This record gives sequence, C-alpha cells and structure tokens, in this order.
Amino acid sequence: MNATAPRALIEIDDLTRIYPAAVPIRALDGVTLAVPEGAFLGISGSSGSGKSTLLNILGGLDTPTSGHIALAGRRISDLGPDDLALYRRDKVGMVFQSFNLISAYTALENVAFPLLFAGVARAERGRRAAEALEAVGLAARRSHRPTELSGGEQQRVAIARALINRPKVLLADEPTGNLDSTTAAQILQTLADLNAAGLTIVMISHEEPLLRKYSHAIVRLRDGRIIEHEHIRAAQ
Amino acid sequence: MRLSDHIHQSLSNLWKKKLRTFLTTAGVVIGIAALFSMLAFGKGMQKNITDRFTRLDLFRYITVFGPSEGPRRPRGPRGHRFGDSRQTAPSVPPLDDSRLAEIAKLPGVQAVFPEVRFPAVVRRDDNERFTLAQVVSPELAASGLVTFLAGGPYTHADPNAIIVSDSILRDLGLTDPQAAVGQSITIATITLNGPGSPGFNPLDFIGAFTGDLGDALPFAQKEYALTIAGVAERMGVGMASPLRSDVFIAPQAADGMQKMNLTNVRDLFKSPDQLQAYSTVSIRLVSAEHVDTVTAAVEAWGYRTFAIADEIDEIKTAFVLMDMFLAAIGMIALLVASLGIVNTMVMATLERYREIGIMKAVGARNSDVRRIFFFESGAIGLLGGLLGVTSGWLTSLLINRIVNYYLAAKGIPYTEYFNFPVWLWLASIAFAIAISLAAGLYPAIRAAKTDPIKALRHD
Repeated sequence: MNATAPRALIEIDDLTRIYPAAVPIRALDGVTLAVPEGAFLGISGSSGSGKSTLLNILGGLDTPTSGHIALAGRRISDLGPDDLALYRRDKVGMVFQSFNLISAYTALENVAFPLLFAGVARAERGRRAAEALEAVGLAARRSHRPTELSGGEQQRVAIARALINRPKVLLADEPTGNLDSTTAAQILQTLADLNAAGLTIVMISHEEPLLRKYSHAIVRLRDGRIIEHEHIRAAQ
Repeated sequence: MRLSDHIHQSLSNLWKKKLRTFLTTAGVVIGIAALFSMLAFGKGMQKNITDRFTRLDLFRYITVFGPSEGPRRPRGPRGHRFGDSRQTAPSVPPLDDSRLAEIAKLPGVQAVFPEVRFPAVVRRDDNERFTLAQVVSPELAASGLVTFLAGGPYTHADPNAIIVSDSILRDLGLTDPQAAVGQSITIATITLNGPGSPGFNPLDFIGAFTGDLGDALPFAQKEYALTIAGVAERMGVGMASPLRSDVFIAPQAADGMQKMNLTNVRDLFKSPDQLQAYSTVSIRLVSAEHVDTVTAAVEAWGYRTFAIADEIDEIKTAFVLMDMFLAAIGMIALLVASLGIVNTMVMATLERYREIGIMKAVGARNSDVRRIFFFESGAIGLLGGLLGVTSGWLTSLLINRIVNYYLAAKGIPYTEYFNFPVWLWLASIAFAIAISLAAGLYPAIRAAKTDPIKALRHD
C-alpha cells in the first residue's frame, strides 16, 4: 500500500449478495472496493444493477452472502443483529429518496429519533436535535410535521437525523430523486459542505451530471459488478 | 432505550389512536371488572362463612354421633373412620348419661351437651310451622352460639321461655323481632302410641300413612303456651353447631311436655333402652387445639365425630374450587379482551410497518422494537386493570346495595356479599398486565422481525 495514499475508511472485498428465489438473484457479484476517509463516492448504474443492495449492506441493513466489508478496519459483515444495530446507530447515517420521516413526529422529534435508541436523555436529545436542524438551516421549522414541510426541507430534516449521532459515513440513496433540480442542487450542496467538513459520503444517483459535479469518484455497476471506477478529482 | 422513554413512547403512540385504544382498553376493563367482581364475591362468601364460624366459636365444637347416627359419606383424610366404625356399630356402647360423664372428663373438654330434639308444631293465631324443637340448656343458649336479633337467652328462672329463629318468626306472621319478644306462642307437641309405650307396633305407624288404619291415626297433639325470650338469627351451619333447630326450649319446660323423643323413622324401631341414649352429643372444648386429641379419644370408643376444625381443609378446597369457577367466568371476558389486544397490536405493527423500518435504520435493536410494542400492550393492560378493578369495585358495591335492599324486605340482615382484599386489587391489575403482555407477545415479535429494507420501501 502507498504510504501517502488516503487511508481507506470502507474496504469491500469480493462482496456477493444472492437473494433466494426459484432462480436465485445475484444482486452483487464479487464487488471489491475501497473508499478513502473524507471521500465523496458516487454510485451509478441502471435499475437492478445492485447499487441499493451495496448501500444497504454498507448501511448494515442487509448482510452479504459472501465476501467481507469493513468500516475503519472493523468487519461489519461478521456482526450479529445487535452489533449491527449499534453500527447503524453510531457509525453510519442514511438518507433515502423518500425521506422516510415519521409523519406523526415534528421535525425536531424526527431528528432526535436515533438518540432515543442511544439512551440519550430527553433534554439532551432536544438540544442536539435543535443544533442539527440549525446546521441544515431549519431551526425555524423544528415544530413542523413532515406534511408541513417541502420536499427539500424534509430531505434536510432527514440529513440532520442521519448526522445526529455523528457518523463516520453518510450513505445517501437517490437523495434528490424526489426533488426538483433547484432543490436537488441545494441538497447536494449541503452534502458537499458536509463532505468538505470531513464527512465521508457514499451517494447513489442516476443523475450523472450531479455525480460528476460533486463526487471525487464514481463507481458504475451493472448486474452486480463494478464495470467502471472513475476518478473525478482528489479528495480534500 | 430508557425506561422513561419506553413509557412516554408507548403512551404517546396509544394516544395517537385514541378511539382504538379506548375500545381495546374497554375490553380489558370489562374482563378485569368481571374477574374482580367474581373473585370478590367468592372471597365475600368465604369471609362471611369463616367469620360466622369464628364468631360462633364453632371451631371449639365436636359433634359425636351415636352408634347408628352420623354422616354416611366418608370425609377427608380421616374418612375411613365413619365407614369402619359403621361396620362395628353393634359393639359401640350407647351415648347415654354415663358416657357423657366420661367424655366430660377428657382433657380439653369444657362441656358436653346431648342433643334432644322432638317434633312439634309452632303456632300463633292461624299461622303454624312444623319443626324439630331442640332442648337447649340456658348455658348453651347463652354460650355465644346463638346470635340474637332481639331479646336474649332464657334462664333457669324462665320455665316457659322459648327462643325462636327469625325464620320461624316470619312463618308465624311476625316481622319485627323486637316486638315479638315477650309475646306468647303455642307449641303443640306430637305424641304417638309408639316407642316405649306398651303394645307399640311400628307397622301401626306405617299404616297411618298407607291408610290401612282408616282414621285411626296414632298421633295426638298437646299444646303448651310459651313466651318468646329471644329471636335468634337462623344459623344454617348444619352439623358444625350443636344447635340445629329453629326453636330452642329450656330443659325445665321440655321436661313437663308430653312428646316423642325421636327425630327420625329409625328411632321407631329402637328399644326403650336404646331410646334412653342420645343420638348426638356436642362437645365444647377449652380451645380448638384439643380437637385432635378429643376426637381421637371419642373415636377410640367407636363413635363417629364431626368437627368443623377437621373440615377446614375441605372447606378451603371448596372455596378454591368456587374461586376457580368464578374466575373462569371472568376469564372468558378477559380472553375475548386479549384477542382485542392482539388485533390492536397487529394492526399497529401493520400501520407502523414503515416506522419500524425507520427505527431499525437509525439503530433500534430487535429488542428495542419488541419492547416498544410490549410496553404499549402492557400500558393497555395497566390502564385496563386500573379501570377494571375500579369499575368492578363500583359495580360490586351497587350489586351489594341492590341485593341487600331486596333482602331487607324479607327481613334478612345487611350482609357484605363482596370482599376486596388488597391482594385481589393488586393481583387483578397484575393479571391484566400479564394477559396484555401475553396478547402483545406475537405482535411484538412480529414487529421485531420486520425486515427494514422491505419496511423502508413500503408505501
């Protein structure tokens, strides 16, 4: 290994995920990849190429059939259900295309939600959630429910929630898929700012221009395999 | 997750679905109220009876039966004694005065009372009732075994006094026990050319009923005027008490009466010597601790005995069975309610499918998810339990009042038919929670097993 090269935060080695079916579906087929700390990695590919499966395994929501995946040197592919939950809570933050906010909760409650499972006291949860909302420019909307927020605002609430436990990596699955281009640009700028502050980001998008604008590298998948790993620019 | 967060979270989630929570909780409330009331009724019955036994001091009494008397059924762990002794009945000495004197000498025996009862008709104006009058000494009448509603026991100075039960009083058309004291009533004894009389033939007695003797019935009545000294609460405790009649007459009054000293058809076939013996004798002990030793001594002579102290285990078993039966009725309502909880919680897991996915995505462990749903079903149980025991208590009070109001018109004194021991309150609430948790088990496990990827994609 090159001594001057950035240290790999995420190491993926020969990752395979096969979904059982009458004809087993090979969603990922021997993916090997390293993501340096502080990188902004874009993942693209057509529908069914395996990009969401890769992100779900990275996020600890799914487990590989074979191969290994490690974050900061710790293999997550070997973790049991409880440790995997702790990994999801403390090490990664996830942002989804459909925001996945709880409609009955206010913006503040949604952001504070992960802290509930970390055993953080109620007052502390409120304080930290308010800070996170302020960081994404939504301090004034803390008492609003998701239905009272625009799509962009909802996604920023989701980002604030993903960051509330100060994760090592932010995983974003088509975060701008439900947004208009202006709002999408704002969200991506928010992500870029977070990346500039040192947060490692792995983002799925089918919008190639946006990926090229914000990513340091783009991985293209087809049929569960990496067909191209394009370096765009150096990470700061 | 913190305990306080679990509680807040569960109450908050239930509050969001107010109507469904109300309806589900209402099912638990009804079930627990039914269970609580039923068991309170069972406990009330138990308390009334044991209190009555204790108040009457019946645990200090042993009933001894003569050679051909006594209960035929075997009973309790000592059940063999009746059956065995019946087989050896011919060798058992009669329960006469000399035997009573020997019993009185046994350690722990305070007094011995022979049971003498005779058939009589109690009459006042046009009202009358047939009964078996019992000869009771003034000491026994004043022993505390009799609960007087009015008046009191007679003394040796009242040769024509009588004690009647409130039941007899009502049959005689007297409703006010206080007003009845001092009034005169008639006792008509029944005489028969029978046992002990020259030329008695039991077949004549039977012929009186078959009509073979025409109008020549072997019965006659002798009337005696007696004054009511006291009105007693009807005892209704059977063999447990030496007092087993609705009419008590002092020995000096009974001695002057012409009467048949027989209480059942078997007495007709006894010889005059046998009729001199008592069929039943009651022993009063210094304390209930002597029951076993005195019973053993009396049974050693071949007599059969009955002591309520011996029966207490059987009585307790009977009450347990009654409690179980009553609880089973209440349980039916609670089981239906638990199905409601299962339904509510399954609905909650379906409605919050996506939310469960979000919980898992942000770091909830399976156990966290399971506990969230557990706490919700537990909260339904706690709320249902608290409201259930409260409404069960209020309903029981209402029923008690209505029943007493109805029975008061029949002259029956006020009784608490329900008893609410502290453990019943706590156990009912705990049971409501336990049932609710059991009902929430499947939905909670189902929620915990949710695949977060599928749940997050769910619309």
